[in-house]
Formats: sequence, structure tokens, C-alpha cells
Amino acid sequence: MVEKNGFWDRFIQNSLIKNVRKHWMLYLMILPGIIYYIIFKYIPLMGSVIAFQDFQIFKGIFASPWVGLENFRHLLHYQDFHEVLRNTALIALYQLVFQFPAPIILALLFNEIRLLIVKRTVQSLFYLPHFLSWVVVGGIVFELLASQGIVNAIREMLGFEPILFMQEEGYFRSIVIISGIWKEIGWGTIIYLAAITAINPSLYEAAVIDGANRFKQTIYITLPLLLPTISVLFLLNIGNFLELGFDQIFNLLTPMTYSVGDIIETYVYRAGVLQGQYSLTTAIGLFQSVIGFALLWIFNRLARKSEQGLW
Amino acid sequence: MKQSIGERLFQIFNYTLLIVLAATMIAPLLQLLAVSFSSPIAADSKKVFLIPVEFTLATWEHILQNEVLWRAFGVTVFITIVGTFLSMLFTILTAFPLSRKDFLLRKPIMLMMVLTMIFNAPMIPFFLTVREVGLMDSIWALIIPGLISTFNMVIVRTFFLGIPSDLDDAARIDGCNEFRLLFQIYLQLSKPVLATISLFYAVGYWNTFKTAVLFLRNPDLWPLQMRLRAFFTSEEELAAVDLIMGDFDFNTTTLKAATIIFATIPIVLVYPYLQKYFVKGAVLGSLKE
Repeated sequence: MVEKNGFWDRFIQNSLIKNVRKHWMLYLMILPGIIYYIIFKYIPLMGSVIAFQDFQIFKGIFASPWVGLENFRHLLHYQDFHEVLRNTALIALYQLVFQFPAPIILALLFNEIRLLIVKRTVQSLFYLPHFLSWVVVGGIVFELLASQGIVNAIREMLGFEPILFMQEEGYFRSIVIISGIWKEIGWGTIIYLAAITAINPSLYEAAVIDGANRFKQTIYITLPLLLPTISVLFLLNIGNFLELGFDQIFNLLTPMTYSVGDIIETYVYRAGVLQGQYSLTTAIGLFQSVIGFALLWIFNRLARKSEQGLW
Repeated sequence: MKQSIGERLFQIFNYTLLIVLAATMIAPLLQLLAVSFSSPIAADSKKVFLIPVEFTLATWEHILQNEVLWRAFGVTVFITIVGTFLSMLFTILTAFPLSRKDFLLRKPIMLMMVLTMIFNAPMIPFFLTVREVGLMDSIWALIIPGLISTFNMVIVRTFFLGIPSDLDDAARIDGCNEFRLLFQIYLQLSKPVLATISLFYAVGYWNTFKTAVLFLRNPDLWPLQMRLRAFFTSEEELAAVDLIMGDFDFNTTTLKAATIIFATIPIVLVYPYLQKYFVKGAVLGSLKE
């Protein structure tokens, strides 16, 4: 065995050297990319070890004292952490329940439009908000919902009292979900529409002969054949379950809504970047990644049973 | 093809619903556009509905004379052009070797890069690394840490994989080296995907916000989105005006509306030309691999 390994190693080294010699240009080309990935992806990834340290900025990673799971223990007794975790999990859950299915429904409705000119125009309008930044969308939301904004103008015309939506805790999560749907629903349909286009038309012809109307065709043909696509997108989504997107929440949040809207990422930014609690907030970040990966693993196992897993 | 009454009713319902919803995608922008051309009194007394009331150009005159805003605009134009160019260069140079069958380390390197899509580095170690590298308070902090998007790189690689290898052999025989093969043959054949990916990068750079929040303390370097955010929240430059002098032809309401439109105009202007590309790109990116 040992000798065989030695031979194998030599063989690999040999052919690698040969390969580098022959295709040195390819190695040269990819070098900047590799350096980029090491510096900005892998070094920060390994930098996560400061979650197990009492990291001190002047000592750096190598000289800072190790504290084991101290930071994680600390977290569990930490009032802020419970609140932030609850907000993150709730918003993530609402997104999964309301935001995830929205493009699927919209794609099915698009599919029923026969007039090409209407279809194209409507689709272009739906795609547009995807290209606006969350700063702009946040600004739009604040302006429309302000006391002098159009929403309150309509409320007054109908005889209701104006509401300061952005300052009230009760509305925050609904605003997050609705603005999220508004921005991304159209963009989300693209992939489903592509999958619908790929469905073999003879299936529909056969169904028509059997007397299926459009509704039944949708339920019994389109939807089941969309399931693999839905399942893959669901898995990709669930892996980032707790990563809600910093930009959106950050741009909708006000100090008045922290109690319901402060999520892991906005909290890590404030407590970590601004206040320098590096180790504690890295522990939170790591916690978030572990939950995301665990969920991905569990749901992938479930999906694999119906042969639609990611791996 | 006969339709039942139920189906016809559904059709009417469906067309109406989708047209109304599509209108809500553009209506908020039109409303703010109208507010930005209205007098502050009309805007604050809730009279403006999609059409300007007491039309005035005062708000826009003030906005277009705001040097701070133009400075931020300049930063954003710079990072959009330079950033998109550098991102494309790095992405192409990385994707090409990964698409070559005769590149021995293709699989391990590909795996190393794709893994970063699942395992994101937490924010703090990322922040500390970028600071260690010395990019804090540098305009390059908006470009270099996000130079390659793995998602975009995989799209380009997938496209390169689809180019028939007969072409390589022919080029090889003609004495083409790998750089010439990439730049003179592969890139020429990949124009649609390159246009798509440039668009994705350009929109990303135009909307740059989080990296600016993390790394730029010096307001002179702020890109447009960051400047907008400062206008909206601390209301520094914008509010100062109507506090000092009571009866101006604009106020914070109309100014905020105008700055939102200001940041949106470039995207809305190029949008129609780009549409044919981005749909293709979105499908390519998500279906394959």
C-alpha cells in the first residue's frame, strides 16, 4: 500500500508538473482569481475562529486568547440575542410562506396570457423593480407611507386617521414582506417561465383530448412538472434561511422598530462593526451559518426521497 | 377552440389583475416624479396624485446644483465603469481555465470556488480582513472585495463549455496560444453572455451600498446610494434649507422625491436596451449546474 501511494503521489506530481509546463498560460490566467478567493473568501472564512477567542484588535488572531465556547454561552444568556434571533426567524419564515410562492403563482398567471404584446409589456414592468437598489426602494416606501404620503392621503379621503406606518412596530414585518414581493416577484418568474416553456406541448394536447380544461392542465401538468425547479429553488433558499439581506432591513429599519425588525445582520453591523464587539458578533454569524447549513442538509434529505435533491 | 364561461371570466380577471399589478410596479416612481415637480405646499397638503400640482422646477434646480450629490454620482459612475471592467476581466480569466479539459486542477479549483457560495464568511471576519488589507476608506473597497461573483463566473464557464472543441484544435494547429484562443475566439463567440454578465455587474456596482456602509467613513468617497441614504435619514443637506428659510419653492418632501428619481433615471434609461440580455442571463444562471 505504502509503495503504491508513493507511486501514485509521484505519478500525480509528475503529471501536474507536466501539465503546468504545457499549459502554464492557463495557470497564469487563473492565478489572480485564486488569490482573490483566498484573500476575500477563505481568509475571512478561517477568520471565523475569532468566535472562539477573546479577540483583541491590537493582538490579532494569533495572539488573542482562546476562550472555547465562552462567547456562545454568553449569547444564550443575552437578551438582545433572543430578540434578534426571534425577529430573524419570524421574518425568514414569513418570507418563505408569502414571498417564495409569489413568483410561482405569477408565472402561472403570465402563462395564461395569450396576447403577446400584453404579456411582454406586463413582464417588463414587473422586472423593473429588481434593478432598483434597496436604498431607493426604502426611500420610496418611506415617502409613500409618510404622514404626507399618498397612502395616508387616500386614507384621509376615505375618512380614516393617518398612520405613521414606518414608526409603528405592528406594521414593520408586513412592510418588509410586501416590499420584498414588490421588488422581486417579477424577477423570480423568469426561471419558472423558462421551465414552463420547456414542457413538452404534446402533454397538453393529450390532456385536451381527454377533456381537461386550462385549470386542470395547470394543476395536473404544469405544476407537477414545475416541481423539480421549485424544489431546487426552495433548497437554495433554505440554505440562506437566516440571511435575510442586510440592505433591505437596514433601509427600512428605524430605532422605533428595532424591537420587531432588528435582525442578525443589522445587529452584527451595529454591535460588531460600529461598537467593536468582534468575537461575540462573529459567534452570532457562525451560529447563523450553522443553522442555514443544517436546514439545507435536512431539507435536501427530504427532497432526495422524491429524487429532487441538490446532491 | 370553444371556451367555457368560467374560462372566459378567468381570462378577463387575469388580464385585469396583471395589468393593475404591473401598473403598481411603475406607479410609485411616477408618484414621486409628480411630487418632485410640485410645489412644497401642494406636496405636503396631499393633493398630488400622479400629476404635478402647482408645477415648479425649483426642486430639480436645487438638486442639479447640489455638488455633494454630483460628487457621489461621480464616484458611482467611476466604480460602475472601472469595477465592471475589472470584474469582467477577472471573471473571464478565471472561468476560461476552469472550462478547459486539459487543465488538470480544474475540478479541485472549481470546487474551492463554488463552496464559497454555500459557506459565506460572516460579516465581522470579512470586515476585519478588508481592513487588514488596507482598503478602509478607499474607493477600491467598493470594487476589490467583490471583484468576482461566483454565480456570474459559473455562468461564463458554462457558456465556454458549450463552445465546440473542434474550434480549439483548428486554432491550435494555426499556432494559437491559450491567451489568443481566449481573447480572439472564445470572447468573440461569447458576446451575448458577456453583455449579460457585464449588465449584472454594472447594476451591482450602481447599487453598491453595503460595502460603503462597512468601509467608508469619509463622506467624500460615498457612492450615490450611500449619499441618498444619508439624505433620507440624517436629512443633513436637504433639511438644512427649509429650516433656515421658511418660504422656499421646495422642501424635504419634494427634495427626497427628486433624489430618488435622480438615482433611478440612469437605470430606467438603459433598461429597455438591456432587457433582451438579462432574461437570458437569469435563465442561464439558474438552470444549468
